[in-house]
Amino acid sequence: MADKVRFIIERQDGPDEKPYNQEFDVDYRPGLNVVAALMEIQKNPVTVDGKRVPPVNWECNCLEKVCGACTMVINGRVQQACCALIDHLKQPIHLQPARTFPVIRDLLVDRSIMFENLKKIQGWVEIDGSWEVTNAPIQNPYTAQLTYKLSQCMTCGCCLEACPNVNYSHLGIEGLREEKSAGAADFMGASPIAQAYLFNLNPIGSFDKPKRLNALMEKGGITSCGNSQNCAAVCPKSLPLLDVLAQVNRDVNVQALKNMFNF
Amino acid sequence: MFHTTFYLRRLHSLCGLLMLGFFILEHMMTNSLAMAGPQIFNMAMGMVEEIPKPVFYGIEIGMYAVPILFHGIYGIYIALQAKNNPRDYGYLRNWNFTLQRWTAWYLVVFLIWHVGYLRIYLKGITGTPMSFELLQNIFQNPVVAILYVIGMWAAIFHFCNGITTFCMTWGITKGPRAQNVINAISMMLCAGLCLLTLAFMASYFVY
Repeated sequence: MADKVRFIIERQDGPDEKPYNQEFDVDYRPGLNVVAALMEIQKNPVTVDGKRVPPVNWECNCLEKVCGACTMVINGRVQQACCALIDHLKQPIHLQPARTFPVIRDLLVDRSIMFENLKKIQGWVEIDGSWEVTNAPIQNPYTAQLTYKLSQCMTCGCCLEACPNVNYSHLGIEGLREEKSAGAADFMGASPIAQAYLFNLNPIGSFDKPKRLNALMEKGGITSCGNSQNCAAVCPKSLPLLDVLAQVNRDVNVQALKNMFNF
Repeated sequence: MFHTTFYLRRLHSLCGLLMLGFFILEHMMTNSLAMAGPQIFNMAMGMVEEIPKPVFYGIEIGMYAVPILFHGIYGIYIALQAKNNPRDYGYLRNWNFTLQRWTAWYLVVFLIWHVGYLRIYLKGITGTPMSFELLQNIFQNPVVAILYVIGMWAAIFHFCNGITTFCMTWGITKGPRAQNVINAISMMLCAGLCLLTLAFMASYFVY
């Protein structure tokens, strides 16, 4: 058991700055995790060379793997920093931002493109309108079990970071803003596809199924999936993404036939 | 409401498996005849020549050239989008994903050389008919023979892994269990065809 835990953190002073590495030592204590260690560094941001530096930027919120804010690349693998225990990690511990997204500063990234993609696939149930609102139709309890699982997605971005086909980093913060207004054209990754499926399974949400499937058939939709299946392997919520992707592939194929013949 | 990307990707998948898959299997069968000796192989080559020219060119252009150019050119576009990451995420499927793209790059170069030299230059321009002796002569250079074996292995892997991904893309195998079964079957096919390649390549050095 080492007294000190060595961190090698990839830092970046701004969106367009060059990344560089800095090393920090943190006192070991049982049950220490990466977020707690980052908090220690924040209290005393002194590198191993004894240089005082600006504290490392990162995001965290719930500290129990529910919000997804502290997603970062730890020892090469994307995960939540709050539940990455030091005892389970090889030292020195490398921390990097999830570079599939544009980096704002240090370990802080702009994941807002995921929200844009949820809007694109209509990740909600349309309930407001001029029609009468009555009791919702009941859902098959077996389907409900699956949808409960799918609803646990916390939009953390692990599936996007691990996917070799997703890359929003080249856009930069400025480009991201343009892309958001123009509608993202790069691959949206597994998470919004799973959410589209979730809302297609909802008895009321299924009214808009053709709309969602058509959105998924556009450029950057499910078509860009390359079957590397990293998404399912890294998903911290263990969503059944392989089943979802195959089922949605089926659904869009059927939708394509409908588009061809039903008009 | 016309989703160009969707139809291009699905067409890419279809013509890869059906057209080019058929093409690879046809190549495997014809080339296996080399194991039966020069006479049989040359007889088969002669039979190919017997096909009436308009039919032959029709098949060659419609079934081979056009699908392969489409699959190749659109495939380059797809491969360029990927940032391969098997070093960080060393899962089997991710390795297959990466290998699918690496073999694709090798095949682009290999096929330009293979088709350009054998079909366009030797057969098309100089009018040399394909024969056991011609190939034997070409494979005298061990570097060429090795590059050819790698080329065929690349094509076989690309095709067999393509079967697995085809089943995912079209939603035929839903879920990890069915996908693993198909993957195991196609990888066995891959191993079998790779061994077959070695066997018929060896026959050029035996006879």
